[in-house]
Amino acid sequence: MAKLRMKKIELIAMLTDSKKIIELLQRRGVVEISKNDDEELENTNVTAVVGEFDKFRSTAVQALEIIDSYFPEKVGLADMFSGKTEVEKHEFGREAMQMEKVMSAANEIIKNQRIITESNASISQLEIKCDMLERWTPLDVPLNFKGTASTSAYIGTLPYQITSEELEEQLPDNCSVEVVSGSKEQTNLFILCSKDTYEEAGDKLRKLAFATVSEPESKTPNDLIASYKEEAEKLEKKIEDAKSFIEKLSENRKQLRFVIDYLQMRKEKYDALSGLGFTESTFVLTGYIPEKYAESLKKEIEAKYTAAITFTDPTDEDDVPVLLENSKFSAPVEGITKMYAMPGKGDVDPTPVMSFFYYLFFGMMLSDAGYGILMIIGTTIALKKFKLETSMKKTLTMFRNCGISTVFWGALFGSWFGDIAQVVARNFFDKEIGSLALWFEPLTDPVKLLLVSFGLGILHLFLGVAVAFKMTWDSGKKLDAIFDALPIYLIVLGVAPLGAGMFISVPEVLKTTGIYMLLAGVIILVLTAGRTSKSIFGKFFGGLYALYNTATGYFGDILSYSRLLALGLATGSIASVINLIGTMPENKVFKLILLIIVFVVGHIANLAINLLGAYVHTDRLQFVELFSKFYTGGGREFAPLTVNTKYIKFKEENSND
Amino acid sequence: MTNGLVLAIIGAALAALLAGIGSAKGVSLVGEAASGVVSVDPSKFSKVLVLELLPGTQGLYGLIAAMFILLRTGVLGGGAAELTVQQGLGFLAASLPIAVVGLISGIMQGRTAAAGVSITAKKPDHNGKAIIMAAMVETYAILALLISVLMILNIAV
Repeated sequence: MAKLRMKKIELIAMLTDSKKIIELLQRRGVVEISKNDDEELENTNVTAVVGEFDKFRSTAVQALEIIDSYFPEKVGLADMFSGKTEVEKHEFGREAMQMEKVMSAANEIIKNQRIITESNASISQLEIKCDMLERWTPLDVPLNFKGTASTSAYIGTLPYQITSEELEEQLPDNCSVEVVSGSKEQTNLFILCSKDTYEEAGDKLRKLAFATVSEPESKTPNDLIASYKEEAEKLEKKIEDAKSFIEKLSENRKQLRFVIDYLQMRKEKYDALSGLGFTESTFVLTGYIPEKYAESLKKEIEAKYTAAITFTDPTDEDDVPVLLENSKFSAPVEGITKMYAMPGKGDVDPTPVMSFFYYLFFGMMLSDAGYGILMIIGTTIALKKFKLETSMKKTLTMFRNCGISTVFWGALFGSWFGDIAQVVARNFFDKEIGSLALWFEPLTDPVKLLLVSFGLGILHLFLGVAVAFKMTWDSGKKLDAIFDALPIYLIVLGVAPLGAGMFISVPEVLKTTGIYMLLAGVIILVLTAGRTSKSIFGKFFGGLYALYNTATGYFGDILSYSRLLALGLATGSIASVINLIGTMPENKVFKLILLIIVFVVGHIANLAINLLGAYVHTDRLQFVELFSKFYTGGGREFAPLTVNTKYIKFKEENSND
Repeated sequence: MTNGLVLAIIGAALAALLAGIGSAKGVSLVGEAASGVVSVDPSKFSKVLVLELLPGTQGLYGLIAAMFILLRTGVLGGGAAELTVQQGLGFLAASLPIAVVGLISGIMQGRTAAAGVSITAKKPDHNGKAIIMAAMVETYAILALLISVLMILNIAV
């Protein structure tokens, strides 16, 4: 279990079979291909082909996005979780034939989208022009009107409010001013002057900050607006046409998705080809494969093709990828390990180490049987109903297991949606039914639960130390293993009865034994912890330093487990408050109605916030308290050549699933 | 109503008040950062929402401590106790850890989570690490709540 043993694979086969073999490997998804670094072999250059695939693929993606934005597919809740469409292999070949047709549809869609964008831009420009012209509509001459034989005209604006009389006073004689329209910010003016005063009036106007309107068209403003509106309508029509065309093409949605996946696969296949080494008529593939798949793959390939496959054990220098495999019980928690880091070269897989405590702590922090049942029902339905991706399936299974643990702790503490049974009995049937707890209610004796939390925490930490012990022991440093682990066990076990004695009565025998164990632990630690140091001085202070570190470190670690109690109390007390609020009114009918509403809304909110809390703090207890004892991480996840599709899935079994 | 009871109620008010302020401030800090991310990529909404919710728990802890004081003193559930001034001061003191730590850790956790939003923006796969870092801050609010509740439950009435 845990980390799968990896083998190095070396495959030599005929060049003519190369694509077929790569396709087979891609469908099996069990081999990670390394780049060929043998200089005597030639590499192929696939950049051009891959670039081509990328280009086509991004066209298809773009087209699909356009369809989705104009005509979104109606999706139900069930579809959201339903995963990929399954297709048969031969169907895949048939569909791939239609690629040209689909790609031309995609190009057509993008072209129409461009028409829509351009038309929209033109329409808004026309609208701006119309807005500008609105101010000039009372004028029945074109805006570029220069005057008649004996008169000259100025058409333009002044950036302030002014009446025609005021302006006429400032201008030379023989000028008539007409205010076309105006506002506080500007006045639009039509000024007519006789030819002889034209220049003078112009100078004067410039000083007043007069701006002439520029308009090339010799049409009156009203005519211009009408023609612009007509133009805009034509564009609107064009947009409608383009949209309906896109709608017609949107029936290609399924095929587009298909093409996207198809191109993705082709691209990855060619990427894989670039990692191979070639001679004139053969090719060499090197990579990693989990040992358990090695033999069956070898048989399959050697039966179909002329090929020689050899497996070797990776050496220490090799950068071996990591693939986790765990029992049904532990596998769901793999996601948590991955979130921290994949196990590095010297690490064991921490998943099986933490899985039991993960479920246990999660349940203890949520600790309401009602909420646990909701979790079990929700996740079970999701797992049964929807075709899910592997990682999603694992996550949901993890939450289902956590739900079971939550029911367990909730029943022990007698919390079913808080104290809803007691509240209903008291308020509607005038009965006191007392506690439902199979063990005890945390609120009646929080100190007891605090000690239980510390106890579980100590077990959790000891498990981490034990794993570290085993790792050091297996690596041959048996004495080191003992000197690292033993003093910690002695010190923590020795202090435990003394600490517990502050809250509850502990038999004197235990306390005395505790003191001796503590002393023994301290002595061993001080004497041995500085062993790597060369001088006597260094050994002694190294020992003291280790004592200080152990004392503060483990003290803090153990106290950290008090969150098991605190978060449990938080869930329970908020749940009780919700039930209390629901039963505020005196009238029984009102009380019932309010209770139902508050119950549903309140408990959903409480479940949501406490689920988040339990999840986050369970993770923290694993990452900070447990992992620090033995785990470094830093491995690389096994990334096999596989069918990496978004929308479709082959019916054929993928042995890596 | 005795002076002692008034002091106890002040304690309950402080717990809800200060921890609530801390959470409100913390959540708003993350919300501001999260909105920036969502404006670019709306699909990250659910991820940043989790981060935004993290500093919200301090307010709940304050509420829990306040509720415990009100239940213990009988303000809720009928029959308010005749508390002496000493007992009242006891409840007031018991409310202080979660009130003060709730206020400060709420804001500080908000800042950590807001910084974590940039992890979610740039490396969405490592979102979990941002959550854990923000959760570190919450430890101290949990410890404070624990001490407050233990004190409240053990003051003799």
